[in-house]
Amino acid sequence: MQHRIRWAAVAAAPLALVLASCAAPAESEETVDAASMNYAALSHEELVELATEEGEVSVYAFTSRIATVEEAFEAEYPGIDVIATDISSTEQIQRLASEHAAGSATADVAYVSDAPVVITELVEEGVLLPYVPERVAGSLADEYQTPLVANRLSTKVLMYNEEAHPDGSPVDNLWQLTEAAWAGKVVLVDPNVRGDYLDLATELSLQSDAMAEAYEAHFGEAIVLEDGVPDAGLQFLKDLYANDAILTDDTDNVNAAVGATGQDAPPVGFTSYSDRRDNEDEGWALQVAAGVAPSPGIVFPAMLGLTAEPANPAAARLLIDFMMGDDSETGGAAFEPFYVAGDYPTRSDVVAPADAVSLDELSAWIIDPQRTAEVRGDVADFLLTIQ
Amino acid sequence: MIAVRRVTTILARPITWIALLVAAVLVVLVAAPLAGLVAATFREDGGGSWADVLASPLSQNLFWQPLGNSLLVAIGTGVIATLLGGFLAWVVVMSDVPGRKIIGILATIPFALPSFAIALAWESVFRNERLGGNPGLLASMGIAVPDLLSWGAVPVTLTLVAHYYSLSFVVVAAALAGIGGDLIAAAELTGASRARVAARIALPAVAPALLSGFLLAFAEGISNFAVPALLGLPVRFQTLSTRLYGAISTGDTERGYVLSILLVLIAAVVLYLGNRATRGRSFAVITGKASRPRTVRTGLWRWPLLAASLALVTATTIIPGLVLAVSTLLRRSNDLDGGFTLHFWLGESDPSIAQGFRGVLRDPVLLQAGVGTIALGAAVALCAGALGLVAAYVVRRVRSKPVAAGIGFLAYVPFLIPGIALGAAFIAQFGAPIGPIPSLYGTFAILVVAGTAASLPFAFQTSRSALGQVSNELEEAALVAGAGTGRRIGRILLPLSARGVTGGAMLVFVTMVRDLSLVVLLVTPATPLLAVQTFRYASEGFTQHANAITLVIAAVSVAATLLARRLQGARRPWTES
Repeated sequence: MQHRIRWAAVAAAPLALVLASCAAPAESEETVDAASMNYAALSHEELVELATEEGEVSVYAFTSRIATVEEAFEAEYPGIDVIATDISSTEQIQRLASEHAAGSATADVAYVSDAPVVITELVEEGVLLPYVPERVAGSLADEYQTPLVANRLSTKVLMYNEEAHPDGSPVDNLWQLTEAAWAGKVVLVDPNVRGDYLDLATELSLQSDAMAEAYEAHFGEAIVLEDGVPDAGLQFLKDLYANDAILTDDTDNVNAAVGATGQDAPPVGFTSYSDRRDNEDEGWALQVAAGVAPSPGIVFPAMLGLTAEPANPAAARLLIDFMMGDDSETGGAAFEPFYVAGDYPTRSDVVAPADAVSLDELSAWIIDPQRTAEVRGDVADFLLTIQ
Repeated sequence: MIAVRRVTTILARPITWIALLVAAVLVVLVAAPLAGLVAATFREDGGGSWADVLASPLSQNLFWQPLGNSLLVAIGTGVIATLLGGFLAWVVVMSDVPGRKIIGILATIPFALPSFAIALAWESVFRNERLGGNPGLLASMGIAVPDLLSWGAVPVTLTLVAHYYSLSFVVVAAALAGIGGDLIAAAELTGASRARVAARIALPAVAPALLSGFLLAFAEGISNFAVPALLGLPVRFQTLSTRLYGAISTGDTERGYVLSILLVLIAAVVLYLGNRATRGRSFAVITGKASRPRTVRTGLWRWPLLAASLALVTATTIIPGLVLAVSTLLRRSNDLDGGFTLHFWLGESDPSIAQGFRGVLRDPVLLQAGVGTIALGAAVALCAGALGLVAAYVVRRVRSKPVAAGIGFLAYVPFLIPGIALGAAFIAQFGAPIGPIPSLYGTFAILVVAGTAASLPFAFQTSRSALGQVSNELEEAALVAGAGTGRRIGRILLPLSARGVTGGAMLVFVTMVRDLSLVVLLVTPATPLLAVQTFRYASEGFTQHANAITLVIAAVSVAATLLARRLQGARRPWTES
């Protein structure tokens, strides 16, 4: 009998190990009275001093360019260690929400895209809090300050192949894409699979008046909506799907399909304007269809937020301040990884990179994440019915 | 009084205590996350997501049609992968076909390659002009490739088969190696033909292994996202996994969770049907009188068999491996016209290439990530292997059918729970200290715990099939001789099933080192992992860097596979492989 028990214990040991294995003791919380600290009242030097005492700051970022930010920040503030975790926006949202709910260790700063979901899942739930450095508040439009501060804008816009179309965009009105000439020749990532493309689809619905106007300008008559189609933007999407639009799973696939050189009749597609910078590297000929009516697509923010109870509150604020760029006209070393043609700085005093059309010329719609969040689910459902 | 005595008798059996322990561990690792998933679908809008999915105008395109596609792909994958894996296992273990050792090694590699590498290999041959961009080999030679071959059900299924037949191969090869030559010799003495021996002895003897292989390939096929997304979406071929992933990534997590619970239910039905098909029959072939396995002489057939086997492993191992390797050397991603370079492996930072990212071998965290990855894979393989073996033993010995079925179910479904949901569940469970136990969060241990949960099906299914072969009479003999439960496991069952169990641990290791979706929610920069590094590169569109890391992961997996085979050989010197 003794034998049995001993052997049973041996068999059980690995199981017990799984559950009870060596856990590092949780780090003791700083007892500094962080909550009552009025960070807004501090001078920059005082903030740096507090941040240096904290000694580190942890950030979740949806882009691996955070590595460059880390290097630049640590060069500027040698006493503060940046701990960066690369994690996609979808997973970041889930992780931040779970960590908040469990009360476990979490990041100090989140750098995240997917604004509509961030607002409903994180900001409204108190998981992420805004912090707008006073230094840059004056040069930021209101929509880039709330609900979270945005440091740059990215795009999902119509692009074409400039090798095949050297005289400019083959499309000047989005409604052309619903005609036979473009059947099977429009590529986009499935909006039911990627959030930024769902935002694009949602904006088409929100801009239905402009879409109706563009319809009339193109076809010479007012649009007549089909039964069950609520607005002109969604009618466009329905017609686009019916015209055999090609869905794919990834922006890189759109770029390669539209951009690859040596094609006789390349498709057009919705993708990121900034990917044009890879043209030479990848052998692409991507160019933006700026000026297409009513708009080539959307512009959306990348946002910075503080977690609810950051372990390093001062260093967290310092990092957000840093990532907004310095006071030079390119934003300096801090902003350099994001200073890319085809992306746009939110600060009015930072000059947009050359080699790209200006935000005005691009005439893309700037999404309102709050409004997008309200109707996004309905648009996703509508798209499910028109497959 | 009788009842009390009965309870006392049951409690006196060590198996009862082991069963309770296994059940408790499975409740924490699998049942609790699953329950959390169910609860989450009712929390926000009182279950409205269920109605959306099952009974709304959306259901057709959100659930029913993807369900049909998923079943088509998963059953196709399960059946074809089992046939091919079983065939190769027979060639390698039972036949005298030349070169079978090499074939045996190559047949385990597809599972170590990422599924997208095989999809990429498919595309590089069969891609037509539907999507635009650079066409595949056939189309660029002027051959019109129909959509049917380029996109949708056929390429998705065949790509998954190419990836997952390894599972059946590993399980079935272990089972075939357990069949003693005496059985076959006896059959031959009675004048049975070769075909009859195969059909009446070899096939029934490996039935549990075939079932395990099928169940694993089915579950992998139904839950794989990357392949249907890449090869299915261009013709709007949606599966439950693309719908599930899409719902979660567009912020509709409840709907995604509903879909994943439905996936778990489908898997439960398949598991039930599979178990029913093999219930009540004995597959024990390992008896007290062990003898060398016999080789089947194939005569002139050896050449066609060799050709078929070689073609299969070449198409699924060598070609995708080469495609992946070449893709890391291309100056332009997936485009031969740009020329070749070693920059993405060795290059110093050059601002004109890949935005100044240096070659992966110059990345200072690469070594650390490699060590972390191997440590994680090994720790998880050990824990999952032990848990899977003990769980399989309990299912074999415990007399209560519901307990056995419950354990079988919980040990089968974990990888149908999306990694993001499983990760979130572990944050919820272990994110804060529980009483005196400090929070596991942010430690290596939580990665091991989560990995054990996620990869348990491989360990459990392989152990179950291996134990199924060991005759009860051996254990009974030991029992009569006074050996306790642990001693019987350690001295009889473990050595006799070692081949299957090591095979399972190897599958766990490989899954763990290449899978990202689960660990990305739990990993911290303090424990860098290779799979996380691939995301770093892929998120910025640096295909070559990402593929280079993937190749490193594949190399680590292949090395582990070879090592496992050596260990198997050492454990059972009396059989050749």
